[in-house]
Amino acid sequence: MATQIVQHAVKKPERKVTVGKSPTRLAFERFFRNPLAVAGVIVLSLIILVTIFAPFLTKFSPSTADIMNTDSPPTALHPLGTDASGFDNLARVLYGGRVDLTVAFAAAFMSMFLGTLYGGISGFFGGWVDNIMMRFVDIMLNFPFLILVLALESIFSVQGVWILVFVVGVTAWPGPARLMRGMFLQLREQDYVIGARTIGCSSWRIIFRHMLPNTLSFLIVLVSFSVASYVGLEAALSFLGLGVPLSVPSWGGMLNASTGYIQLTTEPYAWGPPMAMIVLTILSVNFIGDGLRDAFDPQSKA
Amino acid sequence: MASYIVRRLLGLIPTLFVITVIVFLLMHAMPGNAFMALVYNPKVKDPAALIARLEAQNGLNQPLYIQYFDWLRNVFQGNLGMSQSLNEPVSQAIGQALPNTLLLAVTAEVIILLVSIPIGVLQANRANKGFDITTSFIAVLFYSIPGFVFALILLLFFSFKWNILPSTGTVTPGVSYSGSLGDHIIHLVLPAMALALPSLAYYTRLTRGNTLQVIVADFVRTAKAKGLRTPRILFRHVLRNAIIPLVTQFGFDIGGLFGGAIILEEIFTWPGMGELSINATLSHDYPLILGSTLVFAVTVLIGNLIADILLAVSDPRIRYD
Repeated sequence: MATQIVQHAVKKPERKVTVGKSPTRLAFERFFRNPLAVAGVIVLSLIILVTIFAPFLTKFSPSTADIMNTDSPPTALHPLGTDASGFDNLARVLYGGRVDLTVAFAAAFMSMFLGTLYGGISGFFGGWVDNIMMRFVDIMLNFPFLILVLALESIFSVQGVWILVFVVGVTAWPGPARLMRGMFLQLREQDYVIGARTIGCSSWRIIFRHMLPNTLSFLIVLVSFSVASYVGLEAALSFLGLGVPLSVPSWGGMLNASTGYIQLTTEPYAWGPPMAMIVLTILSVNFIGDGLRDAFDPQSKA
Repeated sequence: MASYIVRRLLGLIPTLFVITVIVFLLMHAMPGNAFMALVYNPKVKDPAALIARLEAQNGLNQPLYIQYFDWLRNVFQGNLGMSQSLNEPVSQAIGQALPNTLLLAVTAEVIILLVSIPIGVLQANRANKGFDITTSFIAVLFYSIPGFVFALILLLFFSFKWNILPSTGTVTPGVSYSGSLGDHIIHLVLPAMALALPSLAYYTRLTRGNTLQVIVADFVRTAKAKGLRTPRILFRHVLRNAIIPLVTQFGFDIGGLFGGAIILEEIFTWPGMGELSINATLSHDYPLILGSTLVFAVTVLIGNLIADILLAVSDPRIRYD
């Protein structure tokens, strides 16, 4: 007993140091103590830097074909060879990241924005509004995704990065909406929200000043995991030929060109790098997401 | 319970109604229809007249709402219409494709459950020891590899390099054992593996997390104090309680597996619903689009229903009335 009291007395000054830190700062400190998460940040930053500075790393354009030199094995001129149309593989890997990452990040933010808006309204107002709005979410969750993608692409008769962002964002929002609705339903009953309501805050002020900041850590984690799944989704769509047009480089599109027997067995230099880029990106984003979740919510160790 | 299931099944009807209405409007918003390609057919002398006649035959010149309700009336009579691109009844086309996709999805689910539950439980039993850390790391790695990437890797090694397993189709054509059970199974292995592997990692993580929560419960200590062996405690006492969230997730994922199967069907030229619905959409084959939409939606909804029923079976505390 006595030793315990002594320990407390000793520990107290230590605790005083941490008192000044905000919860967000503490979360970030926890995050940067997680080696896998830090490795994820480093790898993802490298991938992003490489795609941004692609013009300095290769002198080839990803969309001008070297027609006299198709299906070339790796040479000094083309370190990763050229594909069947004579595009330089290295340039396509480097520039391809732009498409994959833009689609993944933009779609993640778009679906998160729509989901938060929809789920927030539904959860905040509750009652019959919530009932009707969630019914629609159930329907959209069951909606056949590929048919929607195909239909939207043929209606707008374009294939490209932004239509892909739009399609993924528009189809992916029901998941986040359902989660955010759960968050808002919980927050609605918190004392500080009831307090804000009793002093006469408007609904908008309660939502934006009091509730939304409290869902932020949850949202960040959600965004990071969505980015991971949308990188895979974009790659899968491009792989099926439903993503960006062939002239635009993307990792999934490069894999699509290498599914045949000959390409797969004899040209690992062509499909290996884009495959590695896809897996590395998803892996690092997943590690970041795991790290963020553990950092913001140390109790939940799933 | 029975009345609960009946009520849930009736509750599917409005959802299906809204989904088919949206799909119906979307597909009519797509420019052109299944017959427009005839314009480019040199053997057709007067394409405009032929297209007009075919459109009239298929009721495409009617107002949209009449077309929709015609389709709906036929569905209630068990008639999904004629496919405009395949020249066969939609029900026949789906009847050929659906068993293949179901077979693929069910096999993948069996693989997932048989592998992930034991691994997850064992991981939790030796939490943060060598076995747990290595398998957890492999799980995150697998979880980060999209199914189609797995498919390519599996194809490369098992079909192309080692030549052990076939790469396409459901049976080997033109051999004496074509269509036998063994023939079906070897064709199923690669697509089912590619479908199962990413989810496998996810379910292992889920099982591990749930088991870790249950393993500290009082009744586990009681069982240990009674002198029961560890395997019996793990698989009889702990697992029964840890499996409940897994079961729910599983029902929700049936639709996901169906969706994931679409991409793998393209890679392995597996003649299933994925191929059928993509081709239907690309050729603007309205009855086939609606028919396959209906099948996909019903599968997802029934998956959710199965999840709820399994939940009630595995957790007697949950009551439905």
